[in-house]
Amino acid sequence: MARLLLGNPGNLSILAGAQAGVSEEDARILRGLRAGIEDAYQELIDRYEQPIFGIVFRLLENPGDSSDVVQEVFLKVFRGVNSFREQSSLRTWIYRIALNEAHNHRRWFSRHCRCEISLEDERGGRPNPLELASDPGRSPFEQALDSENRTLIERALAKINPVFRTAVVLRDIENLSYEEIAEILQISLGTVKSRILRGREALRRELTQRPDQTLAEALA
Amino acid sequence: MTCWSIKRRSTDYVDGRLRGNDRSRVASHLAECDSCTLLVEELASVRSTLRELPQPTAPSPLRTELLILASRERKLFRSSRLHRLWTRWKFRFHELMRPLTIPATGGLLSSLILFGALALTVSTSTNAVGYEVPVVYADKADANLVPVELRSAVVLNLTLDGKGRITDYAVQDGSASFVGDPSRLQSNNIALPEFRTVLAMTQPVSGDISISFTPLLFRP
Repeated sequence: MARLLLGNPGNLSILAGAQAGVSEEDARILRGLRAGIEDAYQELIDRYEQPIFGIVFRLLENPGDSSDVVQEVFLKVFRGVNSFREQSSLRTWIYRIALNEAHNHRRWFSRHCRCEISLEDERGGRPNPLELASDPGRSPFEQALDSENRTLIERALAKINPVFRTAVVLRDIENLSYEEIAEILQISLGTVKSRILRGREALRRELTQRPDQTLAEALA
Repeated sequence: MTCWSIKRRSTDYVDGRLRGNDRSRVASHLAECDSCTLLVEELASVRSTLRELPQPTAPSPLRTELLILASRERKLFRSSRLHRLWTRWKFRFHELMRPLTIPATGGLLSSLILFGALALTVSTSTNAVGYEVPVVYADKADANLVPVELRSAVVLNLTLDGKGRITDYAVQDGSASFVGDPSRLQSNNIALPEFRTVLAMTQPVSGDISISFTPLLFRP
């Protein structure tokens, strides 16, 4: 019966209705989670593991900490699914939990100044989360240049104010709309635009270290 | 439109959210203002560069951890209602106490350290003498007890009987010394203290003891 519910969205749309904020697909996953169906848990992980890790990693810049935080996020999602009121989309809700957990983690560690180096920094040959497979369409020089530029931008992103960084990451990397960002961060639309603008400006300043240098020159 | 207005609208313009008149007005200003044009171009460049950044890849053990977590939560879901309730409240309590863990631990450790330091000052092997040692400065006109001025270290030599009572005393001040007369003190109604227990566990001791007094000089 549970599998039938999960695999038959037609009936479910009548039963669950198009509830405000939650799409049909989200509603299906939520029903599965609430019924304890294994496939629903797996689908949630398949859908959100990488995006959540991406956001958290951009805020914490540490793969070990990011993995820990992602696990906390999913734990909260699994345990909070029954109390989720579905007034926002599932993605918005999960992203909100992720950002709160990442901020809490960063605040905790900035206060207690953890200076030890994570063992995962000594990767022993394991790949950096930010490394991509090489693009066969580009020359080694172009790939090296791209890699260098990416490193510059990643470093600049890590340097800007976390509040503005969050807004820029959600908009320009995660490609969320202004309205979704406002809902996730629980701020007004105007504040979203202001933070995105200030984040982009801060990045621009970080990348153009010389006052007379343009961004194109910095990245050339 | 002023440059300030353009800056305010630059996020919307770069993200393609401006329509109609607003967009035309911004475009007109950009056609005439080089600095605003450069700003908008660079913000657009930052945006497009960020969009090209690779998504961080979650480490492979994370997926396994999440699946294990999901399995555990599903098992919990199937457990008795009471057990679920207990686990849920335990989780909520843990979340509530998480920000207090460090200050609570710090408070407990501080209490233990302070108590430990204070406990060392409490002597258990020697019982305290049940009287106050009179430290009185007496000048030569009123030399009933100590007929010397305390200019330097003074040594008081006492002879005790078997019951801790002072039978004789002498005062040494550098090279000078004064042998006291206990009977004279008695006739002047000056009571000498009794050493109820000195050094040993509970038995008063007899014999000679020396007490050294060092004056403290306070400079204004």
